[in-house]
Amino acid sequence: MDISELKKQSDLSYDRAIAKRNALEKANSRLVVVYNEHLFRADPETICLVSTLKKLYDSFCVLDTNNNPVEINDPKDFLSVLVTRNQESINAYQQVYKTFTRRDK
Amino acid sequence: MSKGVLLFCFDTEHTQYHKILERCVRLVKKNICNDITVVTNLETYKKLKPLGLINYKLIQPELGNKKNGLPWYNADRHMAYELSPYEKTLVIDIDYFCFTSNLAQMFDTDYDFLVSDTAFDLSNRNSFDARRFSMIPMVWATVLFFKKNHIVKNIFDTVKYVKQHYSYFTEMYRIYAKNFRNDYLFAIALQQANGFVGYEKLPFALPTLPPDCEVLNISNNGLTWKYNDQISFVENQDVHVLNKEVANV
Repeated sequence: MDISELKKQSDLSYDRAIAKRNALEKANSRLVVVYNEHLFRADPETICLVSTLKKLYDSFCVLDTNNNPVEINDPKDFLSVLVTRNQESINAYQQVYKTFTRRDK
Repeated sequence: MSKGVLLFCFDTEHTQYHKILERCVRLVKKNICNDITVVTNLETYKKLKPLGLINYKLIQPELGNKKNGLPWYNADRHMAYELSPYEKTLVIDIDYFCFTSNLAQMFDTDYDFLVSDTAFDLSNRNSFDARRFSMIPMVWATVLFFKKNHIVKNIFDTVKYVKQHYSYFTEMYRIYAKNFRNDYLFAIALQQANGFVGYEKLPFALPTLPPDCEVLNISNNGLTWKYNDQISFVENQDVHVLNKEVANV
């Protein structure tokens, strides 16, 4: 490999790393969702917690992003909101990710 | 409950902030809400293109502050509470381009006051970590959300008090920046008003483009920038652009 080829490869990897990092941050920002006038992150931890609590109780309390307790009276609706936002965000990330893969080929 | 966006914009002899405002307003209308109040002065107002139904509040900006040796009219943010006609207000810097509706959902919350405490460097250099010298957690006053009530009124009264004694407070909290910055003003005031034990925050970092990144192009859903010989872009992600040459893009 000559040095110009190496430089090109290195630049490409750098561009890809930055684009991936920014796309992931964009996805993380989009995970923030409002429910019952409080902010939550529709991340795997929250989804798992709500999914588990939903199996055990009809209503329960969870903490919002600022550690305030929030009573959830409709767990099915809350879980649906979380899952929808999570998948919206991750799907958007996947679309961006596919463009990196195409660029590499 | 009324809700809307409050923007501050004052041209200086070096930077045509009104051009940045025109772009910002279009994005706010598209992605956040149609109720917008612009705080500006007569000189800037005269240069603005028609932006549709906008509520204007004309004031004389406080003079004296500088950034990189040039005049910078940013010392009026402490009046946001009085200037906002809304019960729920989003104050956004005009160089924060809302390419998403992420901030719009803040209007559906019941928090009194929200501010972000982190910025995400889109150029991958963590340029904003230098602010760790100070003794208190820093905030980014780029985006503020507040609801009108006596608690928030007290916060803004504290902001005014800290502003009056700004050099004393910055010395006390080991803040080395020589010019006046709303970020520090609000960080100090929130610390004081909340009993030194923390406060509620926006749960995401503000995506920020450092001043040495040159914005090449802005579209309806994102922007492209150049840093050294690297060209990068973001789409459908909010961006806080610190390079004021963006006015000329």
